[in-house]
Amino acid sequence: MRNLVAGFAAGTLLLVLGVLGYLRLGLADVRADVPPSWAVTRLFSEGVHASIRRTTPKLHNPVPVSDASLIEGGKLFLNDCVGCHGAPGQPPSEFGATFYPPAPQFALVGTAYSETEVFWVAKHGVRRTGMSAQGPSYSEEHLWMLASFISRMRNLPPSVANGIEQKPSN
Amino acid sequence: MRNFVLGMFASVVVVPLVVLLYFVFGLASTQADVSPSTIETQTMRQAVLASVRRSASGLSVPGPASNETLVVGGKLYVAGCVGCHGAIATPLQEDHDHFPPVPQLPYAETQYSEPELYWIVKHGVRMTAMSAYGPFYSEKELWAVAGFLHRIKSLPPEVVAAMQPRKP
Repeated sequence: MRNLVAGFAAGTLLLVLGVLGYLRLGLADVRADVPPSWAVTRLFSEGVHASIRRTTPKLHNPVPVSDASLIEGGKLFLNDCVGCHGAPGQPPSEFGATFYPPAPQFALVGTAYSETEVFWVAKHGVRRTGMSAQGPSYSEEHLWMLASFISRMRNLPPSVANGIEQKPSN
Repeated sequence: MRNFVLGMFASVVVVPLVVLLYFVFGLASTQADVSPSTIETQTMRQAVLASVRRSASGLSVPGPASNETLVVGGKLYVAGCVGCHGAIATPLQEDHDHFPPVPQLPYAETQYSEPELYWIVKHGVRMTAMSAYGPFYSEKELWAVAGFLHRIKSLPPEVVAAMQPRKP
């Protein structure tokens, strides 16, 4: 039994040293312009979604969802998110594809995240991706309107779809 | 001895499995608006440096830098990089919104050589917010950006003046 434990400890130590050595010798490819493998993509997206699901507090959207709030959120999206996440009715963003992992194209694939989870991700960002925290840049209210818009992006009422195209009057 | 080998084999199966489950159960934190730990920063920084050094070792700068090439690189920097990496001649504002934080290049100490900078701009850095610019810039432009970044702390004043966008 003692030998078993010693063997386990030695094996663990070797694994850790092996990983550190692999990184230290520069053997890990760091290029972002190679698409992630299926396994990495799965592990990463599952891990992120599981963590978001676990950590997102039970919040209630304080902004009543209406055409007006969706249009406001949509305009935010067009101003600040389309560069990476793609514009509605447009081909996927070429810029978003140059990140590793690539930026999800909400206009094309929608999102598996709930409205509250989208709010949480927009506010706090996602580690080790291109997604930065938007909390310092936007009010809570605006982040909620953005979240409402993104979570409904694939089935927007036509009035909203038209509304976000209009140029602001100022 | 048999038990020792058995224990080693068990660790090779169990440890990766535990790591996998740690991620699958969502125990890894994802919030980007906190600073990475020193250990994580050190490990990742060294891994990236070593990997870039290995990959870019065969490259050499294609030509000498001149004020013209520095202005070309500077204009590209102003157009494409300042949003995250910080503007020249403005006070340092540390980044707290990305994880890992984006280096503020006009102030950062860098260990990267010019070919290594070229390589990073071209290919990006995995699992950071640094995307690949190879698809958008010509080789000449990528080298101009690298030359500019390499000298970002010691630019001739006439280059700094010429690279700023003209005031309307």
